[in-house]
Amino acid sequence: MITPLKALRKNRFKTSLIFVSMSVSIAAIFLISAISGGVVSMYSAMLKTDGDIIVTQKGIADTFFSDINRSLNDTVMNMVGVKESSVLILGAAPVDTLPIVGIYGVSENRFKSYSLKQGSIPSQGEVMLGSKIYETLKHPKTVTLSKKEFRVSGVFKSRIGFEDGGVVMNLVDAGELFHKSASIFLVSLNDLSQSDAVLKEVNLLSSEIEAKTTENFIDSYNQFKIIKTSSDVIGAMAFLMGILGIVSMMSMVVSDRKAEFGIMRSIGLSSSTIIFKLLSETLIIALAAYAVALGTSFGILELIENADKFQGYINGEITVTLMINVLIVSVVMALVGTFLPAFYASRIDPMSLIQRGGA
Amino acid sequence: MKIEALGIEHFYGHEKVLNGVDITITPGSFTAIIGESGSGKTTLLSILSTLLQPTFGNVQYDGKILSELGNIDRFRRTNIGFVFQFHYLISYLTLRENIALGAIEESRVDSLLESLGISNLSHRYSDEVSGGERQRAAIARALVNAPSVVFADEPTGNLDSKNALGVYELFREFSLQGTGFVVASHDKKIADYADVIIEMEDGVVKKVYK
Repeated sequence: MITPLKALRKNRFKTSLIFVSMSVSIAAIFLISAISGGVVSMYSAMLKTDGDIIVTQKGIADTFFSDINRSLNDTVMNMVGVKESSVLILGAAPVDTLPIVGIYGVSENRFKSYSLKQGSIPSQGEVMLGSKIYETLKHPKTVTLSKKEFRVSGVFKSRIGFEDGGVVMNLVDAGELFHKSASIFLVSLNDLSQSDAVLKEVNLLSSEIEAKTTENFIDSYNQFKIIKTSSDVIGAMAFLMGILGIVSMMSMVVSDRKAEFGIMRSIGLSSSTIIFKLLSETLIIALAAYAVALGTSFGILELIENADKFQGYINGEITVTLMINVLIVSVVMALVGTFLPAFYASRIDPMSLIQRGGA
Repeated sequence: MKIEALGIEHFYGHEKVLNGVDITITPGSFTAIIGESGSGKTTLLSILSTLLQPTFGNVQYDGKILSELGNIDRFRRTNIGFVFQFHYLISYLTLRENIALGAIEESRVDSLLESLGISNLSHRYSDEVSGGERQRAAIARALVNAPSVVFADEPTGNLDSKNALGVYELFREFSLQGTGFVVASHDKKIADYADVIIEMEDGVVKKVYK
């Protein structure tokens, strides 16, 4: 361990360049994964709140475009095994100076899932604001949504960023605002084992609706797939950029230290010893870069989360699983990026030492 | 270890630099290969020391050709030491660490530092000692695994005459203890220390004398 550290210290400039390059790549992977994971996790959590089953318009790609007849919810509520079913209208509109804000029209029975900080739940002509947007808009008494003014009846706190930065109103007002009856029903069951029977019964209600378990819906939701795929692609690019950075820097390092590896070969050190030596040097850099990237990512996510500009909609989530996955990715990046230059170093002909000597 | 070169010819591209060399290096001897620049002495040394494969002919080590020696890295590590014109000490390692780098057993490191007169410098780095001391450390590195033979290419090329003679004396001393030395040099003073002198000219052995 001492020798790789000494070698890194001796070659400070190039070590720093590799370290910075790796830190940036690893932080990019952390941030894109955490942000996309956070978006998916927030929206999933919102749907999962009191929702074992979700009912949407059939074949719709996005819940925001879903339009179903809310009178069907009365029938759903009376089905055997259904504990409760709430109606939601999901939309987005400009609110005062903010160009786009999530708007949630909810049935009366859904209001209890919001933790009120002050005021009361909204009646017609009123809205309830998430604490984040309430702060961003500097404690307004009224807000204008799509050119219509609403009185602020109360403020709620939600751990879900989309809700905390959003506006909640009753179904009638939301229906008028977005010209639809309902977007989705969220159905909670007495017993999850009854889900198949309830799903079957709900799906028979109308050919225009589709019921899925919330888990199934989240797994097959196109928007999540798009976010996940985009995140994976960007993460993969960051990974490749990291590898290319290491390959080019390590090639320069090997070239600078050609005599060192030549002498190692001449005294009989095996190729694998030389490869291992270089791999351990990069591995040390990778671990240090990982630690710095992790800390930096936490800091950046904290800044983004609290930036008024983002209205609390970007809530990055660095889970233990993500930390482990990125650690593995960092190690692989270091090993893959170093292998070729290390292999070249292990093949350096000691004859080059004689030729250099000029004899 | 007895080394026999048989019918060695070597080309760099179309240029023939060795033209039928037959020599024998006896175990434990101090052999000097001398000659002008371009005479082929360095190429011959490289071939004898396994660093270079001859275009024609072969070299036998105790009767075995290179391909019969097994793992070449292991063979070099246990049987051969190298000293180059430049010391090639690794700058981020102390003299002691440089010597121990390829050591099979570290126990020899301290005794070598002692016998080469650099034990007081063992924790210094190469840029903290003189040229002669660096070359002594390089010699210690070559001797650390008690090789049968040490090959040295112009080992005094970067040293003043006093340090150069010191290096020859060291070779002589270790040679008397049983380690063979094959040294390529254009410095004729080496003849005063060597057991055998092989004089090269235009790619052939001009003369072998004692």
